[in-house]
Amino acid sequence: MIPVLRLAAKRIGTSLLVLFGVSVLIFCIARVIPGDPARVALGPNATAEQVANLRAQLRLDEPLVAQYGHFLADLARGDLGRSLYTNRPVTTDIAEFLPATLELILVAGIMMIAFGLPLGILAARFRGRWPDHLIRVLSLLGVSAPSFVWAVGLMLVFSYYLGWFPIAGRIASQFEIGRVTGFLLIDTLLAGNGAAFRSAAAHLVLPAFALALSGIGQAARLTRANMIETYETPYIEMARAYGFPERRVANRYAFRPSLIPSLTIIGLDLAALLGNAFLVEAVFGWPGLSRYGVQVILRKDLNAIVGTVLIISAMFILVNIIVDVLTVLLNPRIRHAQRGATP
Amino acid sequence: MKTYLRIAASALAMTAMVAAAAPSWAEGVLRLDEVPVGELDPAKASDYADSLLMFNVYDTLVLPAQGAPGHVPHLAMDWVVDGTTVTLTLRDDVAFHSGNRMTAEDVVFSVERMQALGEGLSFLFTVVESVEAVDDTTVRFTLSEPYAPFIASLVRLPIVDKETVMANLGPGNDEMGDWGQAFLSANSAGTGAYVVRSHNPQEETVLVRNDNYFLPVDPGAPSEVRLRYGLEPATIRALMASGEHDITSQWLPPEVMSALAGDGAQFFSESGTGGFYIKLNTTKPPLDDVHCRRALAAAFDYETAIAITRIAEGVAGGLPATGAIPVGMFGANPADEPLVRDMEAARAHLEACAYNPSEHTLEVSWIAEVPIEERFALLMQANFSELGFNTEIVRVPWVLFTERVTNPESTPHISQVFVTAVTGDPDTLLFPMYHSSAAGTWQSPEYLDDAEVDRLLEEGRSADSDDAREAAYSALNARLMDLAPTIYAFDRNSVFAASPRVSAPALTDPAAAFGVDGMGFSFRLMTLDD
Amino acid sequence: MRRTARILAANPLSLLGVLLVSLVIVGAVFAPVLAPFPDHRGAVVDFTNFNKPPSATHVMGTDVVGRDLFTRILYAYRISLLLAVVVLAIAVPIGVTLGLMAGYLGGWWEYAIMRLTDVFLSIPPLVLAISIMGVLAPTLVNGMIAVTAMWWPWYTRLVYNIARGEKVEGYVLAAEVIGASRIHVMFREILPNCIPAVLTKMTLDAGFVILIVSSLSFLGLGVQPPTPDLGSMVAEGARYLPDSWWLAVFPGLAILVAVFGFNLIGDGLRDVLGADR
Repeated sequence: MIPVLRLAAKRIGTSLLVLFGVSVLIFCIARVIPGDPARVALGPNATAEQVANLRAQLRLDEPLVAQYGHFLADLARGDLGRSLYTNRPVTTDIAEFLPATLELILVAGIMMIAFGLPLGILAARFRGRWPDHLIRVLSLLGVSAPSFVWAVGLMLVFSYYLGWFPIAGRIASQFEIGRVTGFLLIDTLLAGNGAAFRSAAAHLVLPAFALALSGIGQAARLTRANMIETYETPYIEMARAYGFPERRVANRYAFRPSLIPSLTIIGLDLAALLGNAFLVEAVFGWPGLSRYGVQVILRKDLNAIVGTVLIISAMFILVNIIVDVLTVLLNPRIRHAQRGATP
Repeated sequence: MKTYLRIAASALAMTAMVAAAAPSWAEGVLRLDEVPVGELDPAKASDYADSLLMFNVYDTLVLPAQGAPGHVPHLAMDWVVDGTTVTLTLRDDVAFHSGNRMTAEDVVFSVERMQALGEGLSFLFTVVESVEAVDDTTVRFTLSEPYAPFIASLVRLPIVDKETVMANLGPGNDEMGDWGQAFLSANSAGTGAYVVRSHNPQEETVLVRNDNYFLPVDPGAPSEVRLRYGLEPATIRALMASGEHDITSQWLPPEVMSALAGDGAQFFSESGTGGFYIKLNTTKPPLDDVHCRRALAAAFDYETAIAITRIAEGVAGGLPATGAIPVGMFGANPADEPLVRDMEAARAHLEACAYNPSEHTLEVSWIAEVPIEERFALLMQANFSELGFNTEIVRVPWVLFTERVTNPESTPHISQVFVTAVTGDPDTLLFPMYHSSAAGTWQSPEYLDDAEVDRLLEEGRSADSDDAREAAYSALNARLMDLAPTIYAFDRNSVFAASPRVSAPALTDPAAAFGVDGMGFSFRLMTLDD
Repeated sequence: MRRTARILAANPLSLLGVLLVSLVIVGAVFAPVLAPFPDHRGAVVDFTNFNKPPSATHVMGTDVVGRDLFTRILYAYRISLLLAVVVLAIAVPIGVTLGLMAGYLGGWWEYAIMRLTDVFLSIPPLVLAISIMGVLAPTLVNGMIAVTAMWWPWYTRLVYNIARGEKVEGYVLAAEVIGASRIHVMFREILPNCIPAVLTKMTLDAGFVILIVSSLSFLGLGVQPPTPDLGSMVAEGARYLPDSWWLAVFPGLAILVAVFGFNLIGDGLRDVLGADR
């Protein structure tokens, strides 16, 4: 256990270094994206003088290194500057929009696990028979189109034609839910409002499913492949030879080792969704951070770009660490190697 | 594994459980949408969404007369223009949302705030040399030069509550701090018929009716308004079909508009305030030769351009253009003399042009955010190739476009923009486009530099009678047709699809139209048939 | 290899994959011959004939300026396939080599390579691509550069994880004991064990490259109109749903067919190569 902790500590240490690298990179990149941020912020009718004033105010005239210095100093105080797009502190924007995206992604993650793993297991058990083929076709189809195509398709079928789910937004407008965590599923429960909870949950289903589809397909494929691989390993043969019931063989000996790669993929998928969910968020009018990120890039809103990318990267790194630690925890071979490597 | 199957089963069950019937319209609630996020700070309002919020949350000193030229009293009861001095008498019975009474001090503060921030449409008030509160209900503007459209400009001067803003100053460089920018970007401090309840820049702005409004409001007017942002056309289409949306933005593709009409939607429209202009860079060969420009203007297929914007029988996003000035404004040509394609004339002009068209490739740009412009670009490519011009179509995001036009070399040969008169007065349409001092903005990628045009523009804004202005703009129109810096493609007709439950005379009845973009969306003048 | 082919052929789904991909490749290569209106790949307008549903002349209908959709899809396949091939041909060797080095050599190599990979992987892929495209001009070649730059770290990470596991396996230790060079161990002993995973990911990615480039095009940073691109056709066509359904449905199906085909092959390959191990 101790080596694992040490590994985690080491990873967190190096992550800070990585975050620093990301901040330098994105800081430079944000400043070379074409378009003058001051001009964009002031709108098309601004005079050259107004633009020059704002540039000075934003310290855009100073050398890049000095600008980065100011940024770090502000960051140390927890200040990411003001967004020119919303005219609010970037931290306020992130605090407001991040939970919406996280909620969406976490629900998508639950769907990936809830649908992807069982489908993979079923496919492995019925290897070569029709359930296997059916599941294979379905999961490959899920992976084979961009999430926004699924989003539009799901919305048309289930909201527009069938009317089963709401079309857009996070919750029906008649509900006024006080903001505690920003996660509506939690806030509605805290408010003890069952109808509002159902409304929030109903609004989540389609966008989360659209995001989850490719992950479900990938998780199912991976789980199946790994289950088959472990089924063929000697210790499974041995378990069978001992006459353990098939269900126990599947569960105890084949399923658990197969979990690792699937969880890895799901973890990485979820982290990637933070930045890639914007098209689905756009289709469903979901006020999330991903869509915000794209808006601020298109509007060349420097502070917001840097802030958003930093937050997304930090979460991404966090997921990576968790995945790494889990891999080590679940795979004895690496665990032992790690112990050997750390004197 | 069994556990996982169980989780999957319960996930399915939960899905079925929450699949409740979709909520339909809520009584008294009006839902509409815009593409860009509306800016709540009235001193920064410039585009359509901003204006729409501003006209409802704030009031202005005067309003445009409905269905007629001229202006009528609003916060001001009357006014006297004497050369460069404009004196207005204010109502004394108007309260801000905070309960504070509106006085001349608030007017002075509003002007100063706009000038200090220098954003949005503040350029309209650079002509104001000073403004003073003579007493509680009298305010006097002193202008640096005679400016005929000044009263018209006042429709873009929202009056803010000085006391409330001063109580909410954020940190800044001097004693005025941030001039209340942080506060006003999320809150209202106006006298308007609607009050801001919440503002989420990525979702919607929610307004509720101000029950203490100083004018009577029809009880059928919306009690709550939700302005949603950035929804995809297919999403709007679905929301409208299920009765969860009331008025669309004007930016929907015509095909979607006509599909909505097929579902029973009605159309709202605003026109007479601007046009769709195809700008020719007059500094770049071959377009620095007036004959080549005239050739392009004659070869452009005006009828097809309007057909592209066609939505339904008799409804289109464009009305035939008759010249540089939209029909209905000072100096416009009569509506029954539309511009038409004339290939013979085009060839004759080309003969006179010093350049050989085959030696030049025209760069035709279109704004990435306005997909319909790609169709116009393709139309031009087809039209101009008949004259022997090669064209290259480039898609330019708006941000890059505004930067490219700041310099004549990087400005494309051909740019496409929709321009409107922000105050309804031709001066605010034409001066920023054609005066030589205004060259190099998104409105003026022509880089036109013509002394005659400059003289007529100055005459138009300083003339003291409507007849004199009419004469000046009429002469300007003729001059601009002759110089052909622009292909005047069509007069803009902004069309919105709306649910039949909404009635909005200012958007359907020409006799009630304001002639200022966005003002037709004064929600107090709408009623919901619930 | 022959055995691989035989097993693949015995699997009807893989066969379907081969069929779909072959169709796509044939369509792309012979587009000039197969397309009914070859000039519609470019900037052509036919305003007498725009936004028409599928008919005998236009089997997939026409777009909003009257161009034949089937023609444009065939030409879009050319660009998509070219992009996928070029991006993978550059990104995979770089990513795999770095991954092997980090996983097997360990120490300073591991530290430097994996931190660099982390930096790239920590920036959301699209943000990275947008940024690169923002710096460079939005052209096809720069699009390839941007997508390649965001693609290699995934292979580094994948191979690194496998190599780190394999490094402690008996056969690697055995090779080391008999004095095999590091290069030999990396490329001859460990690499073959990474190939199934890399191949599976490549076949998947052939499709994903198409999808990512589409997202870039959607933001105006990828393939520029009037050059046809499947992703931007879907994104633009989606505006007209559900009424002008053909505008989004056919390009969407085109993506689905190509990516699905690659995925079926990849999945079949995994079975075969997995069994070989």
